[in-house]
Formats: sequence, structure tokens, C-alpha cells
Amino acid sequence: MTDPIVDMHWTPEQKAEFVRRRRGRNWALLGALVALCLLIYAIAVVKLLHSGHMW
Amino acid sequence: MRSSPAAIFRQGAVAGESVLADSVLLGATTADWIALLKPRVMVLVVFTGIVGLLLAPGGINPVLGFAAILCIAVAAGAAGAINMWYDRDIDAIMRRTAKRPIPAGRIAPGGALSFGVALSFFSVLVMWLATNLLAAALLAGSIGFYVFVYTMGLKRRTPQNIVIGGAAGAFPPVIGWAAVTGHVGLLPVLLFAIIFFWTPPHFWSLSLFASADYERAGVPMLPVVAGARKTRLAVMRYTLWLVPISLLPFVLHLAGPVYGASAMMLGLAFVWYAWRVMRDAQDATGVSLTRDAPARAAFKYSILYLFLIFGALVLDRLV
Repeated sequence: MTDPIVDMHWTPEQKAEFVRRRRGRNWALLGALVALCLLIYAIAVVKLLHSGHMW
Repeated sequence: MRSSPAAIFRQGAVAGESVLADSVLLGATTADWIALLKPRVMVLVVFTGIVGLLLAPGGINPVLGFAAILCIAVAAGAAGAINMWYDRDIDAIMRRTAKRPIPAGRIAPGGALSFGVALSFFSVLVMWLATNLLAAALLAGSIGFYVFVYTMGLKRRTPQNIVIGGAAGAFPPVIGWAAVTGHVGLLPVLLFAIIFFWTPPHFWSLSLFASADYERAGVPMLPVVAGARKTRLAVMRYTLWLVPISLLPFVLHLAGPVYGASAMMLGLAFVWYAWRVMRDAQDATGVSLTRDAPARAAFKYSILYLFLIFGALVLDRLV
């Protein structure tokens, strides 16, 4: 597998920008996954409370 | 011979002209992925979905209501992403859309398609978990209608594309209602009809001043196929249909006088804007001599109209 940072003839500024964009995408993906987990957890709690199966 | 993107990048880097190469090879930003979801379209979809949710009898737990609206928003965005994947060839030709992430080369087409399909799947699944099967089925149906019927079936084939395709954008209030009640009543069907008849004057006003773009891309929008003069008449015709349909919730006692008066005033104002579009100064071939100023005004008003008429329904319910 190729690594763009190694394979491309980039200036230090371009490398920094590439890393900045990749980090931004990774944080956004993490945020979306955490939000999805929290949402499903909250839905499950509400559903269980409504059906009387919790505690 | 065409150079590869990598070669362009290397040349650009050497020559100090790496602006294009930067945007293509440094990868997409988070904002590019958000742009795939057509956030401006999403605002109207979310708003009409919330209105459907608020008007439905019985009420819904706030967490489940939030989840339902989030699913409607994400589903609309997912359909938009798949639309951008399919239309990437014509988007690259049209000035209005050439800077979108796929034609600009910042997001790979396959990535956009996967993104759209994954979000479609999750939005329908979470809608089912949070509310009920009917709301989830309607949500899946709205995505399918937008992608398969409008984008792949109608858009490049017929000038009636946005008339029939308008149904896709009319689903959100019905889905919001179904999320609360588990069924579909008469009022959400009327809200569907209002958005359905609102869509042609809205999009044809836009297409009047963007027809050169559509013509270049070979999209058979009404001004391209039938000419600007007939399009202006069609804007007026559908606006005249819209006004009585928008009054039906009041006439059928599903909404009160606050809504009735608002719908009448907003509708008459819409007719006035459509009248100005129809009477726009034009040459013998129908080309506007005012740079389509009335069509631009009608397009802007149409957005305000939809916000206000749905807002009036909620206000009417509160007073």
C-alpha cells in the first residue's frame, strides 16, 4: 500500500496540510460514530422505560 | 496527451502552481463530505419534517422525536450524496455545480456512493428502532424515489422531471407524522400536496435563470425544451393550483383561521410574484431583458413561502 506522504514529492507545507485534512476527517468520523452509539443507547433506554422492562 | 493527476501535481509543485493539485490530491476536508449532503436542501426538509411531527396527534418522546428528525435529515443528505455521485458528469459541466466535491476531484465517486448508501441504511434502520416500521418504510421510499425515480429515471429524460420528482421532497411532513402516530392521516397528505405543487414554480423559477447551465449539460428542463415563455406560463399555472390546495387544511377544518388567513395572503403574494415572472420584459424568443430578475425574486420568495406557510400551521395549532 502506498503512503502519499512518502511517495509524493510534497513540500513541508503540503505534507502538513495533508496531515491536517486527514486528522480532521478522522476526528469527524470518530464524532459521528460516538454520536451514533449515544443515539442508539438513548433510544434503547427510552424504549425500555416506555415498555416497563427497565428496573 | 492528458497528464495523470500525480504528474500535474508534481509539475504544479515545481512551478509553484499547485492550487489545483492541492485541492485534488491533498484529499477532502470534512466540509467537503458535509457538502455532499446538500445542507441547504436539508434545512427545508428538516423544517417540514418537524412540522409534520409537531402537528401529529398524541406527541412523541423528545429523544425519539429528535432521532426521527435526525434520520429524516440524514436520509435527505444521503439521497443528495447518491444524486451527486450519479450526476457527477453533468455537475462538472454546469457552472453552478462544477465546484462540488466530486467534479472538483476532492472526493472519489465510489467514496461518495458508499457514503450515501451507508447513511441511507443507517437512517432507515435508526428510524425503525426509534419510531415504527411505517415511518422507516416511508423514509426508505423517499430515498428510493429521489434516487431511482427522479435522479436516474426522470431528470435526464423529461421536462416533467421536477413535477413528478417533487414527490420525493414532499415526504418529510408525512414521515414526521407517521413517526408519531404510526399511520398517515389526511392532514399530512395535504402537506404532501402543498410541497408537491410548490415544487414546479420553485424549480422552474430557478431553471429560468439557470437554463444555460442545464442546456450545456443536456438536462431537459422546461425552459430548455419548451422555451422560457412557456415556462413562465407554467410557473403561473402551478402557482394558481397551489393556492386553493394550500387552503384545503382550513376548508376541511384541519387548521384554524390563523392558518387560513396566512395561506391566503402568502398564496396571493406568490401569485403576484408568478404574475411578474409571466409579464417579465422579453424579446421575441422569450429571452428575458431583465436578466430574469422576476424569476430570481420568485425563487427567493418560494423558499420564504414554504417556511411561512408551514410555520403558520404550527402557530395556528399553538393559538
